[in-house]
Amino acid sequence: MSPIEIGSLSVLAIILLIYIGVYIPVALIGVSFVSIWLMRDNFDLAMNLLKIAAGDSVMEYTFATVPLFTFMGLIVSKAGLGSDIYDVMSTGFRRVKGGIGMATVGANAAFAAVTGSSIASASVFSKVSVPQMLHYGYNPRFAVGVVAGSSVLGMIIPPSAMLIIYSFVAEQSVGEMFLAGVIPGLMLAVAYVAAIWTMGKLTPNFVGGRPADEYEILPWGVIASKTLPTIGLITIVLGGIYTGWLTPVEAGAAGALAGLVIAVLRRKMSLKGFWEALLETGHITATILFLVTAASIYSRMLGLAGLPNELADILAGNQASFWTIMILYVIMMLFLGTLLDTASIILIVVPLFLPLVEPMGMSLVWFGIITVVGAEIGLLTPPLGISCFVIKATLDDDRIKLKDVFLGALPFAAVMLVVLILLIEFPILSLALI
Amino acid sequence: MPAVFHSLVAWLTHATRYLATAANVVGTLVVLALVVMVNYDIVARGIFNQPFRGAYEVVQFSMVLIVFLQLPDVIRVDRLTRSDGLLFLIGDKFPRAAATLRRVINTGSAVIMALIAVAIFPEFLDMWETQDFFGVPGIFTAPWWPIKLTIFCSATLCTLIFTLKVFSKSGSDKPT
Repeated sequence: MSPIEIGSLSVLAIILLIYIGVYIPVALIGVSFVSIWLMRDNFDLAMNLLKIAAGDSVMEYTFATVPLFTFMGLIVSKAGLGSDIYDVMSTGFRRVKGGIGMATVGANAAFAAVTGSSIASASVFSKVSVPQMLHYGYNPRFAVGVVAGSSVLGMIIPPSAMLIIYSFVAEQSVGEMFLAGVIPGLMLAVAYVAAIWTMGKLTPNFVGGRPADEYEILPWGVIASKTLPTIGLITIVLGGIYTGWLTPVEAGAAGALAGLVIAVLRRKMSLKGFWEALLETGHITATILFLVTAASIYSRMLGLAGLPNELADILAGNQASFWTIMILYVIMMLFLGTLLDTASIILIVVPLFLPLVEPMGMSLVWFGIITVVGAEIGLLTPPLGISCFVIKATLDDDRIKLKDVFLGALPFAAVMLVVLILLIEFPILSLALI
Repeated sequence: MPAVFHSLVAWLTHATRYLATAANVVGTLVVLALVVMVNYDIVARGIFNQPFRGAYEVVQFSMVLIVFLQLPDVIRVDRLTRSDGLLFLIGDKFPRAAATLRRVINTGSAVIMALIAVAIFPEFLDMWETQDFFGVPGIFTAPWWPIKLTIFCSATLCTLIFTLKVFSKSGSDKPT
């Protein structure tokens, strides 16, 4: 067999193994190891590459962004910043049809700027805003759909774990990726609010609910105490990176410390909660970075097989246009999104497509935003919509089935697709800030 | 023999749990140290104009420690990334087939972790003998061998944990 054939078979084998439940890093390492060995007929070479992947690929300064921003996210969730922002937003939107839904989107966007994970957002807001929407007679499907849809903002608005992972694979600066995520994230939030408004006009039954007249207008002092901590954190992290005063690693550490101070001042942090957050941070870091390690040997294998170049030649031979490649790319991510989590999709697909995008003269930062948004649509679609599972598990309400969460999230997945197309067509949206 | 074998497995499972948890605690403390150290550097550099030399290398070093000290515990509690929808689906109708599939997967995973351990061990011996270091001489240096040793021990422990999962009697990969 030629290296190309071995390479293509390995990609298929990896997807198959993952599908039957093999640990994703194990599948990546195992298949890559065997195919390097077969391609070069050299066991020592395979061992050598394994040694390099395991020993050297983790020793990256910027990898420290993963534990630091994870820790910051866990601390601010415990400090109750998410529900505070939500309280302020929901009084603001109280008279509008679907207002609580819009408030959820807005609060998610703000909360996303201090956490890097959709999962954190999904679990916070299914506890805070779903019960309230049900209380005001909203359609349960719409209520959970809003939370699922807007939880995705956590992965696009910086700091975001997925932008960090992409910057590792594509060797882009984490700081630039973060700045590039700002406008697309805000665009998506605005598009969600517009979609809720439109649904309220066209399909009022799907939204349901009545105007929330029991809300009292919050005094300015309360609004300040509920929003200033979040604004301060955003200023430290994004401001620090934007002005170049802090590297992304330092911004993560400063944000984590500031979040900790806020949590302690509000008496929301016990020693036990603090230790749990640290422990959870370690687990998440080890999980993500071991996956990155595994993906590094996989992309070496692809390089040895010459698969990405071959793919580029095939597409060039067929005179594939820009949109053909993009449509192919998006379809591939949507397909993988039905069985993989976002991080794995990025790590598997990006090394295949990078050599295609670079010669086309497209920005790799822009490509990263497309990748993250595209892969995130999978969070909302069955059978493996992780956000949807988290919401179902957090709610623990028998009236709401998993099917309801998926159906409710569907309109939001559609909105995401529209935004994705706009982002592909207008790269300036991603590149304006850098 | 089976009775002796099972009590051996039970004892080893117990022992690996202690080891994994202990490594996990150390790794967790490294996370804390990382937060403190980077903030110290920001303040020292920004306000006193005296950067902490070697911040870069210490961060690199702590990444290895965090990942490889936590990895055994991540595997023990079955949080390594996987997509196990199909396994659950099979498990509903054919619990024994699913249990067999889990055993096969755990065996394969043990082999991979063992390969990593075998690949890294000569590297550790080499670094131990040459006392090679990384970093910039005159500013900050640290020896390589503790890094290689951490990875080797971690991979060995992971191998053991996966192997024990193969022999575990429960049909699940979560610890009981």
